[in-house]
Amino acid sequence: MRLREFVIEKLLFIAALSSLAVLALIAVFVFIEGTPIMLREGLGSFLLGAKWAPTKGSFGILPMIMGSIWVTVGALLIAGPVGVACAVFLVEIAPRQVADVVRPAIQLLAGIPSVVYGFIGIVVLVPFIRETFGGPGLSILSAAIILGVMVLPTVISIAQNALEAVPVEYKQGALALGCTHWQTILLVILPTARTGLITALVLGMGRAVGETMAVIMVVGNAVKLPINPLDPARTLTSNIALEMAYAAGAHREALFATGVVLFVFIMILNALANMRLRRRGSHR
Amino acid sequence: MELHDRREEKCKLRVENLSVFYGAVQAIKSLSLRVYPNEILGITGPSSGGKTSLLHTINRLNDRIPTYRHEGRVLLDGDDIYHPDVDVNQLRRRIGIVFDLPTPLPKTIFENVVFGLRVAGVRNRTVLQERTEQALRDAILWDEVKDRLNQPALRLSGGQQQRLSIARALAAQPEIVMLDEPCSGLDPISTLKIEQALWDLKERYTIVLVSQNVQQTSRATDRAAFLLMGELVECGPTAEMFTNPRDSRTADFLEGRFG
Amino acid sequence: MAHHRRSHLLLVMAIIAGLSIGVAGCRGPQSGGLTVAGSTSVQPLVEHLAERYMAEHHGEVVNVQGSGSTAGIRAAVSGAAAIGMASRELEPTERDLHRFLIAQDAIAVIVHPANPVKALRREQLRDIYARRIRDWQQLGGNPGTINFITREEGSGTRGAFQEIVMGDAEISADGIVQDSTGTVRAIVAGDRNAIGYISLGMVTPEVATISLDEVVPTHDAVISGQYPLTRPFLLVTSGEPGPRERAFMDYLHQPACQAIIEEEGYVPSAAESRS
Repeated sequence: MRLREFVIEKLLFIAALSSLAVLALIAVFVFIEGTPIMLREGLGSFLLGAKWAPTKGSFGILPMIMGSIWVTVGALLIAGPVGVACAVFLVEIAPRQVADVVRPAIQLLAGIPSVVYGFIGIVVLVPFIRETFGGPGLSILSAAIILGVMVLPTVISIAQNALEAVPVEYKQGALALGCTHWQTILLVILPTARTGLITALVLGMGRAVGETMAVIMVVGNAVKLPINPLDPARTLTSNIALEMAYAAGAHREALFATGVVLFVFIMILNALANMRLRRRGSHR
Repeated sequence: MELHDRREEKCKLRVENLSVFYGAVQAIKSLSLRVYPNEILGITGPSSGGKTSLLHTINRLNDRIPTYRHEGRVLLDGDDIYHPDVDVNQLRRRIGIVFDLPTPLPKTIFENVVFGLRVAGVRNRTVLQERTEQALRDAILWDEVKDRLNQPALRLSGGQQQRLSIARALAAQPEIVMLDEPCSGLDPISTLKIEQALWDLKERYTIVLVSQNVQQTSRATDRAAFLLMGELVECGPTAEMFTNPRDSRTADFLEGRFG
Repeated sequence: MAHHRRSHLLLVMAIIAGLSIGVAGCRGPQSGGLTVAGSTSVQPLVEHLAERYMAEHHGEVVNVQGSGSTAGIRAAVSGAAAIGMASRELEPTERDLHRFLIAQDAIAVIVHPANPVKALRREQLRDIYARRIRDWQQLGGNPGTINFITREEGSGTRGAFQEIVMGDAEISADGIVQDSTGTVRAIVAGDRNAIGYISLGMVTPEVATISLDEVVPTHDAVISGQYPLTRPFLLVTSGEPGPRERAFMDYLHQPACQAIIEEEGYVPSAAESRS
């Protein structure tokens, strides 16, 4: 019995280790491929250069960094309020039968392939934005809306957990003092769940930064510093996915360098989320 | 059941033939009870006796539980609290409740005390401060926290948090204060402080004290009611009930044979 | 959820890693098989035909790998591949290679069917993509900013467009970039002010083609050589092809294969030689 447990334990440990090793290998690989060109071109001119013409020797990825930031922030401005409102509805307001139908429906959203989102974007959303607001339609706004919907399941499910973790005593205490249900939500439940809600947003953000396929289809991919949300833009992920198939030499290195920047981006977000979670853990 | 003949109009709260159900489970069986102004009514009995269900029904905290339903009436100053015209939030301001676990909100001490007032729309700073001091004094907490009102309430000890919960209920100036096992989990010194506070408060408030603890009920209440499995076994002046219980089940409970 | 995101990242990285391994793999010839490497535009067509070839010629193995026209030509020169594939004409320095035409591909310029502009000169098209002409009104159309759509950097279609239409002018960075013929077509089909370019074989009635230098892009115009925006699909070998290479290349000129090429929307080389 002793021996069996020992073996199982070690096997699990090896499994955990191997997944970690794969991650480490990928990281090392991307960094080895990507860092030389950053050093050669100079980190400043690589990160802050506005011109990207890789076949002609210009490797500035600032337009892509800005594109990623615009699109991600835009997606959060949409998914944040909608997601939190939806979570409040599910946890606090919806009757059980309604919640039981809506919850799995939202989780279903997470299972739709991103190509489908992109296609709906091109066929429905892009023409709508072009006709309503002008511009080419393929834009930051389109990408932000599509991404906002795509990250909703993430935001909602984590926000839900945060709201459900609010002790029932807080709610009763507020109700007993004459709070209406709405006041209880606004004054007690949301402030108490604050850290959890922020975590939901940060994790949603990580998902938004990494999404590729749907974004390529609706964001326009123009390599240009975006000025307003109706402009087309290119994100870090779409830059890699668009050009990797053909790239060779310095161009390919530059795309790996784009991957390095993305990697660091996501690491920072992850660290932020973990910090939040840990703080919340010690708080409760 | 009510044997003590006091005049009808002096009754503050009257429960008439109340039965409470959660789905198929009946938590309270045809219970009738009166609470008179400026008294401390103790409600005691073993757990699952219906004590908390009764308080929640009186404060209408069960309104949002889908399986809950009740029969009978609860009258506050003669008016049915479940009448469709009654504003439930207004009602809860008239009947304050303190729970068995301290429930400070994750805010400062000051904000916790004035929470009910702010919700009720009180804005005047002076009023808020006066009420805070009064409430904290009433709950015998003022001396311990007067210099750190802006610190998080969650840093207080358990006993302080429970007295803060009482102060918070008092600050809203209810007519009746109901306490549900306020001293469970507290040390003897904190327990005595709370009992002391209640004794001083009954001049201004009507108090209902739910406690499983027989000694506390005997020490801190004017009259006592004994609830067993949803049924009111007996109710009368505390001293009388403790020295000469009319029902053998009451005697068994008081002597510690169950619960 | 963190797990979900991490696996997503992993996937992207794995794809990147896989691609680079694929590229690296092109450099060494497969022992025993006939290695054909080069343009990713030509690759799907040759792959399709190679499968038929292998089914009909038992024991023969043909490996088709996509790495870009220039890489394919270099592979043929170095001997890393037996045959190179190119979707562009050979440059002067590459003239000593043996050139074998399998098909002509025309690039059609497309607009929304409701767009009144039906004809452009090559200079006008160049100025649209260089962002010197910005409004359809300047071309006699309805007022509206021109939304021009281009392909991604490195695409063979873009390369041919750059070479034949743009010359030394650069495609403006303001242009919408899409990475597939399908999305370019879907966008043009939905936007009255859009213009794009796709392979003639991929044109559907949702979009309208534009005549270039007064030549409508039709099958006949491509065969006769009048339509300017075409590119050859070439196979190249270093010197005269050996017997194995010759057998495969001749197979592609057989009527059955030429019919397939035509079905796929390209102009077969046999048709060209007939004209």
